[in-house]
Amino acid sequence: MNHALDLLIGLVMGLNLLALGSGRLPSLIRAVSLQGVALGVMPLLMEPEVRWHVALVALATVTGKGLVIPALLRRAMRTANIDREILPFVGFVPSLLLGAGGTIAAMVLAHELPLLPEQTGSLIVPGALASIFTGFLLLIGRSKAIAQVSGYLILENGIYLFGLLLIHAMPLMVEAGILLDLTVGVFIFGIIVDRIQREFDSIDTRKLTTLRE
Amino acid sequence: MSPGFLLTSAFAAASASLVVGARYSRTWLALVVCAAAATLAAAFRVLLGTTDWEWRSNFAIGGEAAHLRLDGVSAVFLVLLCVVAAAGAVYGREYWSDAREPGSAPRGRIAWSAMVLNMGLALLCSNGLHFLVAWELFTLSAYFLIRLDDRRRPARSAAWLYLAASHVASLCLFAFFGVLAARTGSWDLGPMLEHAELAPLFWLVLLGFGVKAGFFPLHVWLPSAHSNAPSHVSGILSGVAIKMGIYGIVRFSGWLVVPPGAGWVVLGLGAGSALVGITFAFAQNDLKRLLAYCSVEHVGVILIGVGGALLAVAHDNAAWGRLALAGALLHVWNHGAFKALLFFCSGSVVHATGTREMSRLGGLWRAMPWTATLFALAAIAVAGLPPLNGFVSEWLLYLGLFDAAALRSAAAWAVLPVAIVLAMAGALALATFVKAGTIVFFGAPRTQVARHAHECGPLMRGPMLVLAGACIALALAPAVLWPALARAVGAWNPAWIGAEPPAALDRLGWTHVVLAGVAVLVALVLVRRVRANGTRRGPTWDCGFAEPTPRMQYTSGAFAGIVGGWSAWLLRTESRYRRPRGAFPARSERVERVPEMVLEHVLAPTGGALVRVALAARKLQHGRLQAYILYLVLGLAGVALIVYFGGAP
Amino acid sequence: MNVLLDVLLRAVVWLALAPLLPGIITKTKAWVAGRRGPPVLQLSYDLARLWRKGVVLSTLVSPGFVIGPAVAWVAVFGAALLLPLGALGTGLGFEGDVLLFVYLLALARFCTAWAAMETGSAFEGMGAAREVSYAVLSEAAIIAAVLALCVQSGSTSLVAMLTPAAGAGAVLLAAGLFVVLLAENCRVPFDDPNTHLELTMIHEVMVLDHSGPPLAVILHGASVKLLLFAVFLTEAVLPMGSLTPLAATGALAASVLVVTLATGMTESLLARFAFRRVPLLLTVGFLLCLFALLFAWRGGPA
Repeated sequence: MNHALDLLIGLVMGLNLLALGSGRLPSLIRAVSLQGVALGVMPLLMEPEVRWHVALVALATVTGKGLVIPALLRRAMRTANIDREILPFVGFVPSLLLGAGGTIAAMVLAHELPLLPEQTGSLIVPGALASIFTGFLLLIGRSKAIAQVSGYLILENGIYLFGLLLIHAMPLMVEAGILLDLTVGVFIFGIIVDRIQREFDSIDTRKLTTLRE
Repeated sequence: MSPGFLLTSAFAAASASLVVGARYSRTWLALVVCAAAATLAAAFRVLLGTTDWEWRSNFAIGGEAAHLRLDGVSAVFLVLLCVVAAAGAVYGREYWSDAREPGSAPRGRIAWSAMVLNMGLALLCSNGLHFLVAWELFTLSAYFLIRLDDRRRPARSAAWLYLAASHVASLCLFAFFGVLAARTGSWDLGPMLEHAELAPLFWLVLLGFGVKAGFFPLHVWLPSAHSNAPSHVSGILSGVAIKMGIYGIVRFSGWLVVPPGAGWVVLGLGAGSALVGITFAFAQNDLKRLLAYCSVEHVGVILIGVGGALLAVAHDNAAWGRLALAGALLHVWNHGAFKALLFFCSGSVVHATGTREMSRLGGLWRAMPWTATLFALAAIAVAGLPPLNGFVSEWLLYLGLFDAAALRSAAAWAVLPVAIVLAMAGALALATFVKAGTIVFFGAPRTQVARHAHECGPLMRGPMLVLAGACIALALAPAVLWPALARAVGAWNPAWIGAEPPAALDRLGWTHVVLAGVAVLVALVLVRRVRANGTRRGPTWDCGFAEPTPRMQYTSGAFAGIVGGWSAWLLRTESRYRRPRGAFPARSERVERVPEMVLEHVLAPTGGALVRVALAARKLQHGRLQAYILYLVLGLAGVALIVYFGGAP
Repeated sequence: MNVLLDVLLRAVVWLALAPLLPGIITKTKAWVAGRRGPPVLQLSYDLARLWRKGVVLSTLVSPGFVIGPAVAWVAVFGAALLLPLGALGTGLGFEGDVLLFVYLLALARFCTAWAAMETGSAFEGMGAAREVSYAVLSEAAIIAAVLALCVQSGSTSLVAMLTPAAGAGAVLLAAGLFVVLLAENCRVPFDDPNTHLELTMIHEVMVLDHSGPPLAVILHGASVKLLLFAVFLTEAVLPMGSLTPLAATGALAASVLVVTLATGMTESLLARFAFRRVPLLLTVGFLLCLFALLFAWRGGPA
């Protein structure tokens, strides 16, 4: 695999850690959107010559992940008047250390996995694993719904990275499936956020525990 | 004089001290010091010579011929024992004198002689049976020393806890020596590298000697025993007794084949013990408890070296394994010297003020300049800072770890996290001893007792000065010590005999000398300059705070607050806080206590559950015959059912 | 004789050049803010003035209050002399001196914190507590960085470790060491060296009660420490070994200047962080060094 791609995946991993360490929603959303842009550019780098549908997919990803969804999140944040501070269940330093540990573990794990020979040197698999881990960590460790949506997006980014392995075989299929999945996910979260907001005047998911009975 | 003659006379002197100790304290002291000096000479003869000393009796004691052996490994520990035992005996004569403690001082002297004698015998015995006897007697006499102050309830319960923990350890050791004797057909000890099937016994060694060494999580007895014992006893317990555990681990990891994972486990235990021990130490508010937890850290540091050496043996990397083991053995000496010194200093504080609570002390340096200076010196040493001895051994250890890392061998994967943990533990040790030293000795006195402190007498100061001298000597001339260390390393693993000294060790010693010299020079220049410019004395400025009171000073709890917050999940500090209320608030207070985590949150609940289960089971036994017959019938029915269903195809 | 000359020359360089760095930083900040700012040599003037001044001592302090800064200065200065300066000082050094380097800095910290605690002031106690607590994280970062250099060069002597280029992890290593530099030298965003009465300070609050020559020694020591970290950062990243002696010295000087300017720019563009964020930022510094170490271990990008 080529150098620029690895550099981009390195950037994605760095952004994972940034997302874990950021204490305010705007910087978290910025990290997610940057990650989306980085992921969007990747298909272009993987092909020796740029085919039109790959370019289309790249364009769609960059606009979708990098611009539209973050813009939606920002708007939601503004209209719902959410406090910008992220309230963590798992503190920032522990989640950062966990994230770093997860990244290292992903590297080691990818080393052990029986991969195709052309993919053994690449960072795609560790990057994907690390992103999925980060996504779960954010989903578990953050209380605000928007932070959780961001975690979900990072998780999706990890799956997308896995999908990149298949881009030679069935490019459009993978992309379309992923994007569809993502859209559904964001929709569902949008609805949930809206409902929680209406019900509790806040989108702190901890308040959901009052629904327990 | 041959080692045999020296050791015989030392044995005679120590036995005589056991007899005369109760009545004649002066003679006792002379005998103990003579025995220590003679043993020291013998140990150095072996360390600096080329041959071991070995002796087999032609008569049997308890059915076995006595077999004594003094080689490099045991000589290292014997040297430490002699120095601390003599220093502690002198110190104890004033600290726990007949005049102050007429009830317990005589039996303290006898227990001291017994403990020192049996530690020495355990180091020399090369027969499993005799080793066990000496070990048990050493454990028992330590128990009597810990509860010397048995009017105090904490001292009694600490001693009981120590005895219970020691017996769990003894159980493992009995099992170990028993299996060893059964498998090899003799109680005689020595290199048994041809018995590869004995490798799993190493885990028994680690458990049995580990309780004595007190690494985390087997340290449960250590903090309370070391803090509640009289300070000269704490000094020898922390300085030497826990090293006996290390001796066992080092000895039998050298003589036996170790299982393949041993190096990793010991390295991991060492790193964990270092970090957890020092975190607990930092959070303590009781000076001697702080020192006790710090011993847990240093045992961890020593184990890191031993684990590194085991790993190096497993991967056949002699170069860095030697360094790691030499670092560990040197750290045994260093820790013995500065920890005994620190406990003696704390004893001098307790002697003068009657309290170990740091938040009740402060400003003691004015009344106790010697103790304060020596504590500062020991604090620099214990924090592993140049130019004192703690740094030399940690430097050797680090050098071993770094060399392993530089080789990029597979074994070295373990080394990277361990080096980082060691650095963090070092930084925490620095924080701990800045706190301990300055809260106790500097600032304004916080209570009346601190205001009316007095300096300790010459018999207490003398041993402290000797130990401080040892710290300085070990720091400034590490290259001189190398032959002794190389000899011990060679005794541990014959393949490593003749280790060349690292070329840099000499340089390090000279750098220390230059550094110390320049520091003294610059300090002199600065002090002269300050004098020449003229000084004015006033209250602490403190940004112009008008009426500071001594109680407003930073306390030990406050100083450790940040790290305490980070490690709240581990420390589980319990605090009671009564806020000031109303316009004219009455007394308000905040009390914090750091529990012994493993004891109170792991062992106590487990033990409680066991007792509950046992009590429930006891209800079955109530003496009614009818019920017993019912049990019988039920049991028979159960067996029948098992046979019926178990037998079916 | 040659060695002695070399040491003397480097001592003079460290002594003379170190006080310039805080001046350059202040100048940069003034320039960004559109002011003229104090002269670059301001610290040197201050030092000269303080050296002549009388001393006010608290009634509580022991002689250690004056000796502490002296030992701290010697420790920092000794650590500085272990570093090679471009072509200078490559003849000295021994295996394992990198650990002496790290621990001498720790000794300096010990002495400063100790002296601060002697005054019995709650304020200085707070500063000392923060200093020693946050040092746990920066110590981990420094050791990770040093391990990265050790793994990469296969040596434990500073001279050998600092000659080759830092390889693939250079960017990470530089970023991590820069974070440590900011933290260890009380720069924004960890600490604000300009304030004296903020409850959020770390290092500055420890020297509140010092005055006259001891304060001068502390200030000079702080500037040496700043230069030391700048030099260490530069030499860790640049391939000093592959340059001619003259070029190496030139590159070193230029890069130290760049690092100093970057510090100044950071101070101008960033606000001091909220206090609870300090451990987070230090953890980031540690992780950067750790990943640099892993890069060095794998011998290039994965």
